[in-house]
Amino acid sequence: MAAETMDTMELPDLIPERERQVLRKGDAQTAAVVDMECNKASVAGSVSQRACVFCGSRVVLYPISDAIHLVHGPIGCAAYTWDIRGALSSGPQLHRNSFSTDLREMDVIYGGEKKLEAALMELIAKHRPNAAFVYSTCIVGIIGDDVDAVCRRVSRATGIPVLPVNSEGFKGTKRDGYRAACDALFNLVGTEPTEGLGPYSINILGDFNLAGETWIIKEYLRKIGIDVVACMTGDARIQDIGRAHGAKLNLVQCSGSMIYLAQNMQKRYGIPFKRVSFFGIEDMAAALYETAQFFGAPELMDRARELVRGEIDGIMPELKRYREKLAGKKAAVYVGGAFKAFSLVRALRLLGMQTAVVGSQTGDKDDYRHLQEISDPGTIIVDDSNPLELARFCMEKNVDLFIGGVKERPIAYKMGIGFCDHNHERKEPLAGFVGMLNFAKEVYGSVCSPVWKLTPRCAERYVQRKEAVS
Amino acid sequence: MRKVAIYGKGGIGKSTTTQNTVAGLAEMGRKVMVVGCDPKADSTRLLLGGLAQRSVLDTLREEGEDVDLSDVRSPGFAGSLCVESGGPEPGVGCAGRGIITSINLLEQLGAYNESENLDYVFYDVLGDVVCGGFAMPIRDGKAEEIYIVCSGEMMAMYAANNICKGILKFAESGKVRLGGLICNSRKVDNEKEMIAEFARRLGTQMIHFVPRDNDVQRAEINRKTVIEWDPACNQAGEYRSLAKAIEGNTMFVIPKPLAIPELESLLMEYGLFN
Repeated sequence: MAAETMDTMELPDLIPERERQVLRKGDAQTAAVVDMECNKASVAGSVSQRACVFCGSRVVLYPISDAIHLVHGPIGCAAYTWDIRGALSSGPQLHRNSFSTDLREMDVIYGGEKKLEAALMELIAKHRPNAAFVYSTCIVGIIGDDVDAVCRRVSRATGIPVLPVNSEGFKGTKRDGYRAACDALFNLVGTEPTEGLGPYSINILGDFNLAGETWIIKEYLRKIGIDVVACMTGDARIQDIGRAHGAKLNLVQCSGSMIYLAQNMQKRYGIPFKRVSFFGIEDMAAALYETAQFFGAPELMDRARELVRGEIDGIMPELKRYREKLAGKKAAVYVGGAFKAFSLVRALRLLGMQTAVVGSQTGDKDDYRHLQEISDPGTIIVDDSNPLELARFCMEKNVDLFIGGVKERPIAYKMGIGFCDHNHERKEPLAGFVGMLNFAKEVYGSVCSPVWKLTPRCAERYVQRKEAVS
Repeated sequence: MRKVAIYGKGGIGKSTTTQNTVAGLAEMGRKVMVVGCDPKADSTRLLLGGLAQRSVLDTLREEGEDVDLSDVRSPGFAGSLCVESGGPEPGVGCAGRGIITSINLLEQLGAYNESENLDYVFYDVLGDVVCGGFAMPIRDGKAEEIYIVCSGEMMAMYAANNICKGILKFAESGKVRLGGLICNSRKVDNEKEMIAEFARRLGTQMIHFVPRDNDVQRAEINRKTVIEWDPACNQAGEYRSLAKAIEGNTMFVIPKPLAIPELESLLMEYGLFN
């Protein structure tokens, strides 16, 4: 249903099967933290905001810039994920192509293996990549192409790793795609020598350098004295991933996508991991302190403190100006991973804003317990939501801002509320201390834009109409 | 035009029975087209005197969309017309999708047009109705009468019963009906009586009992239908009878598939388990 029709009618009810995936936090006295239903397949007909398994794999591996990414399937799968996220590279730009085997009717009938092999040989000869990823799409799973065997053959013939990604779209949810991507990455880890790595070496898991965030974080760590062996997968190179097993610690940011890889690396290589977030002042500082503390070297901690102090001093005056404009405004947050949602609740609070609606596509029970703990009374917490629900919650809470991704943007604009892209399409880095300032700037620019005088907010029209009736 | 599909367990003799029956109909002056729906493309060998037919799918793959009917259809014994769908090698691709593509192309090319003056089209379909693709010939607008080739062997009867389930599904939404069982004898005890009773319980008929005769194999070695190889032999007469029975058939039903215990008890009753 279009949001613009909603102000002429009552707010729609939830689909009954979805009721246990939505929670309203009670007031501070009565609020007991409860388990929410989550981490399950989407309800049919609810038009989930989640993407398919293939898309899940594609977005995780996409930023590896010196590899061929070949989508084995009909052209649509490649076209709709072409250049899907910013994922900046400091070197090769190969990842920004969307290669496809362009499977058609005759390929489906006769099988696509020969076409796949020919495509790989041609692409590898032409682009000389350091590895190739082959993504299986739905149709490949149905006709049963032996993608693993083709990859093995081509790898032997060309001498580079050729990695099958078992991401047939119908197999499950986006989370299963993350897992397939992690499996492919795990096959690369341990393939390169680790000589020459410093004593304070870590990997970053789950930052994708969408607008240059990886570079900001790496610079902070460098100033403290910590080396990053591999970032998976922001601005990543195959060789770095190959020696990631030489690092002493894994920092896992986007917990939804990378926790599985972190667990596997802990099991096989004994590398511990920490879940962190680089969004917001508090979380960024905590991530740096925890990393410094992990190595137990006092000089690291001293430098971390110095860095955090300097950065905060640098942004605070400007941040305060935005805070004055934004104090008391309300936001709705709907993102992929729950860890990002935690950071956003805190970051919004720092701007004097209240999070009235918060949800994620892939959160688990613990994530939602934590969200309940950090949320204000009355906050709507939601798992695996859909456009109609999100529009409904925005109406009910009369929010001033929506923070989400490309699929939420039209919902916000149609309802006449500000929007901040915290996903694939962002162009300004929102991580780190400078990222907090960028975030404040974006939120201010959207929430306080004069454009809203010309497109009155749905929720306000709705309230006026309600009052007129009563 | 009557649209006929022949189903049955793999190896039961569908292609042999189809071609010999088509030879009988052609001999009677009927214009018949046979469409082989098996990736092996061996459904028209006896009518053509060898594996002489390039399949629809191979032609489509090699020539592209610009295909003429004459590229994929060859004249066979007594004016019959022969088409092979073809399909992938074993173990790759999707043969079921191949059947769908092939029949769609034949329709586009006008193989079923009024102007072709066909009396019959016969679809000879591989083994069981394993997936949606192999059900293509019995979907609405394609074959409307089905004959199931079976014998008194248990697995052949299981398969026949299973195929009836497929027909039932499509009969509810379309015009497809079961025309009868063709018993291709394996010389099982009480075979004729048992299949006649099996057919009765399914709500249909045993349209003909084809006795076992080595002349069928002799004709096959010579790449001919029995009627072409030795028009005077006894087995040629059997296939003529089957062709006449189909020509005169008016009993078209929605089958009632048996529950497995009922099928087992039928086998017990007729002595196979003794």
